[in-house]
Amino acid sequence: MALVYELVWRMLHVLLHIHRTLVTSLRVLLRNWNGQTWRRAVAALLTPASLAGFPDSQKKLVLEISKRARGRCSRPSGCLVEKLPVHVGLLIVEEQPSYTDIANLVVWCMAVGISYVSVYDNHGVFRKNDTLLLEKIVRQQDRLGLEDSKYNVEFLSNGNTVHQDQIVSGQRVVNVLSPEDGKHSIVEAARRFCRTVEQKEKTSKDIDVPMFDALLRESKNIPDPELVMKFGPVSSTLGFLPWHIRLTEFVSLPSHVDVSYEDFLVALQRYSTCEQRQGK
Amino acid sequence: MSWIREGELNLIERLSANVLKAGPVPKHVAFIMDGNRRFARKKHVDRQEGHSQGFNKLAETLRWCLQLDIPEVTVYAFSIENFNRSREEVDGLMELAKLKFLRLLDERDKLEKHGVCIRVLGDLTLLPLDLQQLIAKAVVATREHNRCFLNVCFAYTSRHEMANAVREMAWGVEQGLIKASDVSEALLSECLYSSNSPNPDLLIRTSGEVRLSDFLLWQTSHSCLVFQSVLWPEYSFWNLCDAVIQYQCNHASIMKARELHQDEQHRQQLEADHACVAQLLRHHGNGKPADGARRREAVAEYGLRREARVKDFLEALRNKRDSFLTRLASQATVA
Repeated sequence: MALVYELVWRMLHVLLHIHRTLVTSLRVLLRNWNGQTWRRAVAALLTPASLAGFPDSQKKLVLEISKRARGRCSRPSGCLVEKLPVHVGLLIVEEQPSYTDIANLVVWCMAVGISYVSVYDNHGVFRKNDTLLLEKIVRQQDRLGLEDSKYNVEFLSNGNTVHQDQIVSGQRVVNVLSPEDGKHSIVEAARRFCRTVEQKEKTSKDIDVPMFDALLRESKNIPDPELVMKFGPVSSTLGFLPWHIRLTEFVSLPSHVDVSYEDFLVALQRYSTCEQRQGK
Repeated sequence: MSWIREGELNLIERLSANVLKAGPVPKHVAFIMDGNRRFARKKHVDRQEGHSQGFNKLAETLRWCLQLDIPEVTVYAFSIENFNRSREEVDGLMELAKLKFLRLLDERDKLEKHGVCIRVLGDLTLLPLDLQQLIAKAVVATREHNRCFLNVCFAYTSRHEMANAVREMAWGVEQGLIKASDVSEALLSECLYSSNSPNPDLLIRTSGEVRLSDFLLWQTSHSCLVFQSVLWPEYSFWNLCDAVIQYQCNHASIMKARELHQDEQHRQQLEADHACVAQLLRHHGNGKPADGARRREAVAEYGLRREARVKDFLEALRNKRDSFLTRLASQATVA
């Protein structure tokens, strides 16, 4: 009897796998077919009637969005999204990273006005190849014609500033994270506190949530992400900033490879419509 | 209503359960039981009724988990943030909790029969004293049971739990039981409220929200997260099966990621031991650099001594927690 159940179980998972593959292929097909239609639809949604004759190219769309976002328009109906996160985490749970696509995502985040973008994978691959990622980001910014966008970009990796622009006004931070920034940093902060207790500078009763929070941010001041976009088939955070994600919204996308600007906007829209009751 | 809903699965449910059990099944599932108030609004009943239905659904879900061979369940019953709700609602929830724990004590025999161990995770000192005493009594009464485990997070947030774990380690340092350099990821895990349980394999949140709301953030870093749109009081056996299937689909990748993380932990512990030994040799050595073999021997010795210190500290911590609960339980004025 057990063999029968096992057989049925295997069949079930084979069917699920086929279903997932079909859905992915269909999505890619649909996107390529609907590409033109999508772009017009998105443009129409986001621009007032007077600009209805909006051109098709993605570059112009991104530029338009970024101008409006920077203007922080006062009319909600004309705005890109009702609320924008301050910190967006890009969590890549796929085996083969595509640096160009990640660079695109980072540049789009900065263009719409998100001031802190972090990039994470659980192997620490991005941390090891941070210069490559930085190069791609700069190249994508140039490609989209955003080099004159006048915001200051600080590129962080392992808590150190790797690159900083000289242009003033507006601040964008791109931080490359790895599992070291998660539990390891929490343990380091705990060790630091215990050392002060060992040296009789503090007592065990002195520690509480705000104090530990401050301790953590002493070495690496990473703001809590309001939104994490997870790319890939694995349904887990894989060690991403455990302390910081207490109220983070998680939006899952199937893959970061060939991710489109429309997918990115849809994810942002999902975030802007969520309601946080904060326990109340 | 009872904590233990007796009952059997129907034929189709039993067959489906048997099929699922042919694959890997989570040993520990955590639930964020969200949607009681929205359910109450939907059905035009009052909030208390929504919470009550939510509790009934918990009892039913526990039975389903047992029938799927899932021996441990953790639920998020009351967050420290929930104290911000209206006085009326908070009092109502405290009263509901008192009723439920009283009922639990009434059903002691049934709990013993099924081997159910109840634990309550959170800062109990934030609760009314009579509720604290009831909880302590229930936990002490079921302490020795070991067939299945229900962990109820009450007056809990993950950040409080982590800060409390750091406080316990600092206490250990103050008592001279451990050194600051003994602090590690493994030790922190042992100081959490959930130290008696393995990390959850699967975390399920109902009602469509896609956040963790300060629940088991440390423990679920490598768990399968499933967000389902059904409201908690409407949760069904099929919703649970769907979540287990998703766990099975993610099983291989998550196991791989966990192994990677554990290897990294071991490497970091070894590095830390090396650093401590290097420091010791500098302070107590005769100035001559130690050779490779001597150094390796010193690191191994140091590791053993560290583990002995940690063992004694954890024993002291366990005794501290047990006697706190036993003292509270004995104060409870229930037969």
